[in-house]
Amino acid sequence: MQYHIKCKKGEVNKAVLLPGDIERADYIGTKFFNKSKKITENREFHIYNGLYENKPLAVCSTGIGCMSAAVAIEELTNIGCKYFIRVGTCGSLSPEVNMADIIIVTGAVRGDGASKEYVPIEYPAVADYRTVNTLRNRAKKEDTDYKLGIIRTHDAFYMESPFAFGDYKKKIALWAEAGTLAIENESSTLFVIGSLRKVQVGTILVTAGNLITGKESPKNRLQKSIDKAIIIAAGALVDLQEEEKI
Amino acid sequence: MKKMHHLQITSGQIGKFVIMPGDPGRCHLIAEHFENPQLIAQSREYTTYTGKYKGLRVSVTSTGMGCPSAAIALEELIISGAKYLIRLGTTGALQKNINLGDIIIPTSAVRLEGTSVEYIPIEFPAIADIDIVDALIKITHTKNEKFHTGIIMSHDAFYKGSVFADPDFLKREQVWIDSNVLSVENESSAIFTIGYLRKVKVGTILTTVANHLTREVITDEEKVNPIFHLLTDICLEAFKNLGE
Repeated sequence: MQYHIKCKKGEVNKAVLLPGDIERADYIGTKFFNKSKKITENREFHIYNGLYENKPLAVCSTGIGCMSAAVAIEELTNIGCKYFIRVGTCGSLSPEVNMADIIIVTGAVRGDGASKEYVPIEYPAVADYRTVNTLRNRAKKEDTDYKLGIIRTHDAFYMESPFAFGDYKKKIALWAEAGTLAIENESSTLFVIGSLRKVQVGTILVTAGNLITGKESPKNRLQKSIDKAIIIAAGALVDLQEEEKI
Repeated sequence: MKKMHHLQITSGQIGKFVIMPGDPGRCHLIAEHFENPQLIAQSREYTTYTGKYKGLRVSVTSTGMGCPSAAIALEELIISGAKYLIRLGTTGALQKNINLGDIIIPTSAVRLEGTSVEYIPIEFPAIADIDIVDALIKITHTKNEKFHTGIIMSHDAFYKGSVFADPDFLKREQVWIDSNVLSVENESSAIFTIGYLRKVKVGTILTTVANHLTREVITDEEKVNPIFHLLTDICLEAFKNLGE
């Protein structure tokens, strides 16, 4: 029995969507899966199994931040899960990434604390390239535009966000100038653990606001893009399992 | 037109597609694959040829060893109009299942070097352009060649991390071996980082000439040359795919 997620080997399907938000896990589990079954609910980890395009998938919320996300992916890997796609929201750092735009992530700046406990900082937080390609193919199939590139992961929301104290724009200027597309809180650690434990990890994000302009995405457009990102990610998890058979 | 300070080329003299070996002595081997190759410049460790491949204008420029000189080559090539750049080089394996002669196509690199840190803080990932990785993998696959893909490590001090280093080198490399790093070389992390910052496509393809765990090493250059020809073919076909 895994200490935090309260599941045993074989209880969770091996391809898993990883939203941050508990409610988004409930939403995916109940609205997007067929034959949906809630497996467990403990702390910020809500887990469902279900079918998508007739293939077994799972969803597990990670909570906010790399600390709890690392716990989730470690324990899911311990019980046999192999494919992970984080579906979440982010803040844009680029004038080219607009309200409710979808981002497929290739790598992440390791501005978090958890991944540093795993491996020295010079090690890259890189998304699994097959997962990135599968997400791109599914986005194309869905006729959905997306941005592709590096994002920044960090820990302290109230230091770098439109709600932050002090001059947060000064802190993000360096990353914006480097072409970092957006900022969020989980991907770098998920990618590093993926490389270390040899499981496939990717991330697809939706822009909830822009840190440069301070504007928030309109709620209805945001929800539409989140639904699209969930469909692309779930489809990619189906394709990754199919590829394995070949 | 003004010549680049180190490469001694001008912007009209190279193609959008460039192969970058470390060794200037290997440029002519790569240029043999071009139609009508022209020697453009030879300066320090930088040798440049330009020619054609199936309608594409292509070049080869050596980078010299290490990230300091590779960064100079990349920056001056970008100013001169290069858009797609592939490093073609040699590497030492850190995993038991990688044999001498195996091809490695890295997705990203550990930044254990000094150059890229002057560009952007160390937590920024050194990632190869995914379209180049994809094209290299597709072409290598169609040629039925064995290859590995994943994270490599780039570093600066050859005599601290190679089969010729002091006996303790494996102790220092253990953290990377345990982290599933495939192999070690000296240029990719800086050129991946700079490629992303300058918005050009940069990738790497390597041939394994040593294994740090078994201490095997290929010392006969002649044995490496046929693999260099194969890797040149792969790079040029990848350029053709990317150009379409």
